[in-house]
Amino acid sequence: MIADFIASTWLLWILLSVGGFLYWRGMHSQYFNYVFSRYVLALITLLIVSGIVFTLMEVLPGDCAEKYIAYKNTQGETITQADIAAERARMGLDQPLAVRWASWVTDLTLKGDLGFSCAKRQSVNLALGERFWLSFMFCMAGLIFAYIIAVPFGILSAFTINKDWKDRNPQHTKAERFVNTLGLSFNKLLDLQLRIISYLGLALPNFLLALSIILLYVFAGEPTPTGLFSDEWKSVPWFGDNGFEFGKLQDFLGHIWLPIFVIGWSATALQLQTVRALVVDESNKLYVDAARARGVDGMALWAGYPVRHSISPLFNSVGFDFQRIFNDLPIVAVVIGLTDAAALLIEALAQTNDQELAAGILFLVALVVISMNFITDIVLAAIDPRVRKSVLGN
Amino acid sequence: MAIGSVLARFGRKKEAVADDAYYTAGQMALIKARFKRKTTGVVAAWILGSLVFMGFFAGFFSPVDPTISGADKDYRRGAPQIVYFWDQNGFSLRPFTYTYQKEKAKIDLKALAGGGLDALDALTSSGALSSSSQNKFLVDEDKRRYLQFFVKGWEYSLIDLSMAGMDLDIRWDLHLFGVENGQIHLMGTDEDGKDVFSRTLHAVWITISIAIVALVVKLFTSLLVGGVSGYFGGKVDTVMMSITEAVRVIPPIPIYLACAVALAQLDLTSVQRYFAIAVVIGMLDFATLGRRLRTHILTERNQDYVLAAQLCGSSTWRIIWRHLVPSFGSYIIVDTLINFPYVILAETSLSFLGLGLTEPVNSLGVLLQKAQDPDIQQNMIWQFFPVVVFVFLIMAFVFVGDALRDAADPYAEKK
Repeated sequence: MIADFIASTWLLWILLSVGGFLYWRGMHSQYFNYVFSRYVLALITLLIVSGIVFTLMEVLPGDCAEKYIAYKNTQGETITQADIAAERARMGLDQPLAVRWASWVTDLTLKGDLGFSCAKRQSVNLALGERFWLSFMFCMAGLIFAYIIAVPFGILSAFTINKDWKDRNPQHTKAERFVNTLGLSFNKLLDLQLRIISYLGLALPNFLLALSIILLYVFAGEPTPTGLFSDEWKSVPWFGDNGFEFGKLQDFLGHIWLPIFVIGWSATALQLQTVRALVVDESNKLYVDAARARGVDGMALWAGYPVRHSISPLFNSVGFDFQRIFNDLPIVAVVIGLTDAAALLIEALAQTNDQELAAGILFLVALVVISMNFITDIVLAAIDPRVRKSVLGN
Repeated sequence: MAIGSVLARFGRKKEAVADDAYYTAGQMALIKARFKRKTTGVVAAWILGSLVFMGFFAGFFSPVDPTISGADKDYRRGAPQIVYFWDQNGFSLRPFTYTYQKEKAKIDLKALAGGGLDALDALTSSGALSSSSQNKFLVDEDKRRYLQFFVKGWEYSLIDLSMAGMDLDIRWDLHLFGVENGQIHLMGTDEDGKDVFSRTLHAVWITISIAIVALVVKLFTSLLVGGVSGYFGGKVDTVMMSITEAVRVIPPIPIYLACAVALAQLDLTSVQRYFAIAVVIGMLDFATLGRRLRTHILTERNQDYVLAAQLCGSSTWRIIWRHLVPSFGSYIIVDTLINFPYVILAETSLSFLGLGLTEPVNSLGVLLQKAQDPDIQQNMIWQFFPVVVFVFLIMAFVFVGDALRDAADPYAEKK
């Protein structure tokens, strides 16, 4: 009896025990006090998000009862208006919005149940299942792709700032000055190219980029890498008769690069500019001059001072980068023909008006973003001395 | 007055001139002078200006009516008509194109009527019915059609204020260019025979006007949220900022989608739909600017110049309007300009999915939607012209916004 009760409300207990642990530690530690307040704030934000999402889904036409009746209609039963009303009363759809929202949130916090998808005739958790993880993986891969390219090249691009003095440093010999000028011109050219690439990333939206790549394949007369697998491998299971199917993996990798590249593209462009601006801003600060005066030079100066201090604001924005990437994913999914949660979201919003499913996906994305923000906040407060000082005071 | 001397002050090689102009120049003159230093920004501004100008007077610049009534029935799926100055028949100072005629597919009707299956086979395998063969036109190189400038053509409304409540609709029929008889299709035609070039020009203005409406709505929402939050502070601030934070974490495109679906059931005309989409995009985009405004007002409230104004006996209203808002004005302008591409992208994404504006409205998103069609990708590549214009427009906006951001930054000279 009690075990059943605890088992059916497992999520609530996890949430409460994490909160309780943080509160207990927070009584003696300033840092955990801060973590606890961030935790409460994240939960409140989640609650507001669920309210916004739930209200928004109300504006979509049609409701669950109508869809259920329509489903029954296809089974050969004739249905009257009274049946719809009765069905609506049975499902509790005649209750006011606030009551239904409360019950949705309660279900969610007690058992992690996202509700029942009316168009799919199964629970949202089941309908989403691994598709959500697929989308999550896409976004993470796009994010990692963006960071791997944007961070080093952004820093490199920022190197070119404030180097003009090398051209005309009277202490250098003519040959040295010539070499300096040559290197500087090369750097400037690189900087210009990177900036053009990043501008293009802003100007060429993801779906156009995907279309252009597909178009190139069409011109070359090769099969376009749309979808996740080509037709021959689609129905083959991962573990066949002769062990693991490496052919399928190869096929998968041959298709997966396109969505990752496409969704990583504009994130890379934006990150490139952000990193460059951050490093340039930091490199103009007094502490860099002070370090230079102490004789720190070259790579040690850059890596130890401006670059190191630019990382934390960058790290802080990971959550919102994830959100931005997921924002682009539905349209890319339509163009490339993916079958992940983003494609499901488009389907739920634009074709089947499946409010529960759409609300579930949006809520999960917001959950991921909020958790990422929470984690980056507490990690930064733990490792960055400046943040730690401002957060913990005195 | 001062722009010349202010410019001279900023010039790289020239010696700084110590004149009063620099010290007495207003904020706008300084921004203008700094902006002019950046060549890419100036070039982009010219491109942007001409694109917007051509879009605004699209009727004047487009030789063909972009609606279905102006569709060229004899030139459906037609390729761009190239403008020549010379050919083997000689040189002409006036540009010209040729006369085109639809190539009739050779179908042996008699053989088909005779019930010959071989004839049917030959017809299907010859490709005469395929979509690429429908683009074939006979070019008569001896019949030149000369380009004419400032010709009378189809009637369009130059300025239409009837939507704003005024009964003012100036109609005109003069066009920049046209040909003697028939129509000229600089960028070819689509499957209905509508001119791609004219459609694109009209689409540019529609897309930009959506962005303008959306940004005005956005400005008002952010001013309201940021202003109230920053001015009252305390609990109001906490509540409003947590709501803003919640709005910020939800991806916007799905929200636009949901709103677009909700709008679809309202049975709006295309003009109303167009404004509704703009208002929705603007309303939901307040988070970033609202937060900045709030932070700005919170910090500026305690600045020395506010204190000085208070000691001089200024009223609160005057401090807000004459000191606080102008001190943030350049940021608001720059932010609005930087956000243009993103608003345009939001509209195009929606229309691309078929949930924003739809045919026959000429918006860039509607025209971009065609790029997804395999038939167009393979047989009517000229319909990608709107894509090129779109990329140019966004690039121009980004470059101008970037240059303006640098120019508006008062600390820019240190770098």
